[in-house]
Amino acid sequence: MGNTMIKVFFLLCIVLTSTGCWNNKDINHRLLPAVVGISKNGDKYKLILELPVLESDNMKIQIIKATGKSIADAVDWLSMNMDRGVDLFHVKLIVLDKQFAKQGLTDVMSGLMRSREVAPNAQMAICNEDLDYFFGNVQKSKPPTGDYLLDFFEKDAGWTPNIALTRVWQVYRSLHSSTRDVIIPIIQTGKLTEVEHIGSAVIKNGKMVSQISPNDTLLYNAFDGQGTQGIVEVMDLATVLILSDWKSNKSMIINEKPFMKSQLNLKVTILETKGNPSMDLIKKDLSTLITNRFHRMLTITQKKQADILGLGQTFRTKLPRAKLKNWREKYYPILKLDFQVNVDIQNEGFLKSD
Amino acid sequence: MDRSMFVSISYFLTHLGLIFFMYPTDIIASTDEAYWIPITLGIIIHFIFLSIYMKGLSYFPRKNIIMIYLSHGKIIAWIFLLPVAIYLIMIIIITIRSYSEIITIVFLSNTPLWAIMFLLVLVATYLSSRGLDSILRSSLLLAILFLPLTLFVCFVSFQNVDWRYIFPLTTNDFRFITKPSYLMSYFSIGGVFLFIGFIQPLFTYKPKKILYTVLLLVPFWIISVYIPILTFGNSTVPHFYFPFVEAVDSIDINWLMFDRVTVFFLLSLITFIILFLSLILWMFMQIITTCIPKFRPNYLLILISFISFVCCLFIPDWKDVEDLFLINSPFRFFCLLIVPPSLLILGIRSKRKEKLENG
Repeated sequence: MGNTMIKVFFLLCIVLTSTGCWNNKDINHRLLPAVVGISKNGDKYKLILELPVLESDNMKIQIIKATGKSIADAVDWLSMNMDRGVDLFHVKLIVLDKQFAKQGLTDVMSGLMRSREVAPNAQMAICNEDLDYFFGNVQKSKPPTGDYLLDFFEKDAGWTPNIALTRVWQVYRSLHSSTRDVIIPIIQTGKLTEVEHIGSAVIKNGKMVSQISPNDTLLYNAFDGQGTQGIVEVMDLATVLILSDWKSNKSMIINEKPFMKSQLNLKVTILETKGNPSMDLIKKDLSTLITNRFHRMLTITQKKQADILGLGQTFRTKLPRAKLKNWREKYYPILKLDFQVNVDIQNEGFLKSD
Repeated sequence: MDRSMFVSISYFLTHLGLIFFMYPTDIIASTDEAYWIPITLGIIIHFIFLSIYMKGLSYFPRKNIIMIYLSHGKIIAWIFLLPVAIYLIMIIIITIRSYSEIITIVFLSNTPLWAIMFLLVLVATYLSSRGLDSILRSSLLLAILFLPLTLFVCFVSFQNVDWRYIFPLTTNDFRFITKPSYLMSYFSIGGVFLFIGFIQPLFTYKPKKILYTVLLLVPFWIISVYIPILTFGNSTVPHFYFPFVEAVDSIDINWLMFDRVTVFFLLSLITFIILFLSLILWMFMQIITTCIPKFRPNYLLILISFISFVCCLFIPDWKDVEDLFLINSPFRFFCLLIVPPSLLILGIRSKRKEKLENG
C-alpha cells in the first residue's frame, strides 16, 4: 500500500513539473526576427529588426527599431513597448553599420557570445550605407521576399565564392587569437538587384581596418578551402570557371624572419574566349593574374597587420607561443611569401580549341 | 545473473554525461598547451585504479564493498565507508545544483532553478527507489534513445576544426598537477567507478568488459577537450564556461531540420546525468541502510533526496558550486586512490588466511 502511494505521488509530481508551465510564452506572443541590424550612435546602440509577417497568404516584411544603452537594453525596451516579447533565438544574419564596425565590435561580439540567445553560427555582414536607408529598401522590395537577405548568404542558395562567409563565433575567435583575423562581407542597396555585394571588410581585433574587393575575397575563399566554383576573367583572353582547388603550405623561420612557400593548384574549365588564345597562354595569364592579386591583397593586409588568411597558424610549430603572441606586429609585416599558382585546364567545354 | 552488458552501458553513459560539461573547462584552465598530457594522465590513473579495484573485488566473490569492509571489523568499515558516504552525498548535492545551473545557463533561462532541481531529484529518486535492476535496464533504454544522437553530434563537431591549433604538442610546464582546476577535472574521471563494487551480490559482471568500456570512453575524454581547442584556438577557449557546448553551437548543418543541434545533445546528456544521480543515490542508500537497518529504505530515500534538495536551495551561486567541488576533492581522491588498493590488500590478506587455515 505504502509503495503504491509513493508511486502515485512520484508520478503526480512528474506530471506537474514536466509541463514547464512557468514564464512560458506561446509562439504567437513572440517576435522572432531573422535579420538584425546594429548601429551605434554615441554610446547608444540602435537595433533594427526585420520580421517576416504573414498577411493573408502574403509574406510581408515588418521593420522595428529600438535604441538602448546595450543590445539587451534595446531588446528589453521593445518587449516592454510591444504586445509581444522579442526573442533573438532565430537570428540568422547580423548586419552591422560600417561606422560602427570601424569603432570596434569587441563588446557587442562578447555580449552576443555571452547571452547565448543569438546562435554563434549566425552570419555577419557590414552595411555600406545608413542602416535605416538599407532596411527601408529591403522592406520596399517587390515581391517582398522575407528571406532575400538570408538566401543571399546561404551556401545552397544565392551564395557565390566571391562572398565571405563569416559567423559570429569566428569574429569572436579573432578578438582573442593572435594569428587569425577575419573578413566580413560588405553589402549595400543594389541598383539592378536588391542587394549588392561590394567586397569584404578586413577586421583586426574586432575593428574594421581595411577593405578588399570581391575578387580578393574569391582568393581568400580559395585559400581558406571554402570550395570555390568561382569565375575569373583572364585579362582580354577568356573567362574561366574554377572547378576545384587545393593548396599546400610550407613555412620556415630563418634568422627570426618568417618565410612561406605556398602553392595553389587550380582546376579550371573554359567558359568564354575572346579570339582564339592558346591554352598555354590562358594558363600562364591566369596564374600571373592570381599571383598578382594575391600579392596585392597580402600587401594591404600586411600594412594593416591583419592576418586574414591565418598564415600565422602555419607557424605554430615553428614559433613558441610567447613569440607567436606578437605575430601580427613583429612577424607578419615582414613575412616573405613565395606564392605559386598551378593551373590545370580540366576541360574546355563542348568546343574544341585549336 | 551476468549483467556485464548493462553494467558496461551504464558505466559508459554516466561517464559521457560527466565528460562533456565541466571536464574540458577544468582541463583547459589547468594548462595552456599540450592538453593531451593531463588527459592521458587522468585516463591512465582511471584505468590502473579501476583494474586494482576489480582485482581486489575478485577476491571476494558474491560480496559488495560494504560487506567486505564489515567482515573486517567495525573500525575498518567506519574508516573506509564514512568518507565514501560523505563523498557520495556531496556528489549528489553538487551534481543536482551544478547541472541545474548548466541547464539554466544553456537553455532554460526563464525557468526557476528550484523547478529544474526538483525535477532532477524526483526522477533520480524514483529510479533509484526501484533498485539497481531498474537503473541498469533504463540505461539500455537511454542508450538506444540518445546514444545515436550523441555520437552524431560528436561526429559533426569536427566541422569547424582547424588542425593547426593542435600545436604545440610538447611542454615543459607540468604545474597543472597541483592546480585546483586539474583536481576538479577528476570529477569526470573518478566519479562513477565505485559503483562496480556495489553490484556483486545482486548481479555478476566480467571485469574485462568493463575495461573495454573504458577504452571506448578514451576518445570522448580527448575530443571533449580537443574539439573546442581545434575550433576556437587556445587563446579563445579559456573564456568559455562550457567550451564543448560552444563548439557544438558553432556547427552549421543546413540539411538538418533542427536549427541548433545543441539542445538535443544537451538533453541527451542530461538524461545520462539523471542516470548517474540515481546510481549515486542508490549506492548511498546501500551504505545508509546497512547502518540504519530499522528504517523503511524507501522512506529514508525520500528523506535523503529531500535533504539534498534543500541543501541545493541554499547554494546561491556558481562560485560556491566550484568551491564545493574543491572541498569534495579530498574525498574523491580517497575513493579513487585509497579504496581500490585497500580492497586489494584486504583481499590478499584474507586469501593468505584461508590458505593457512586450509593447510
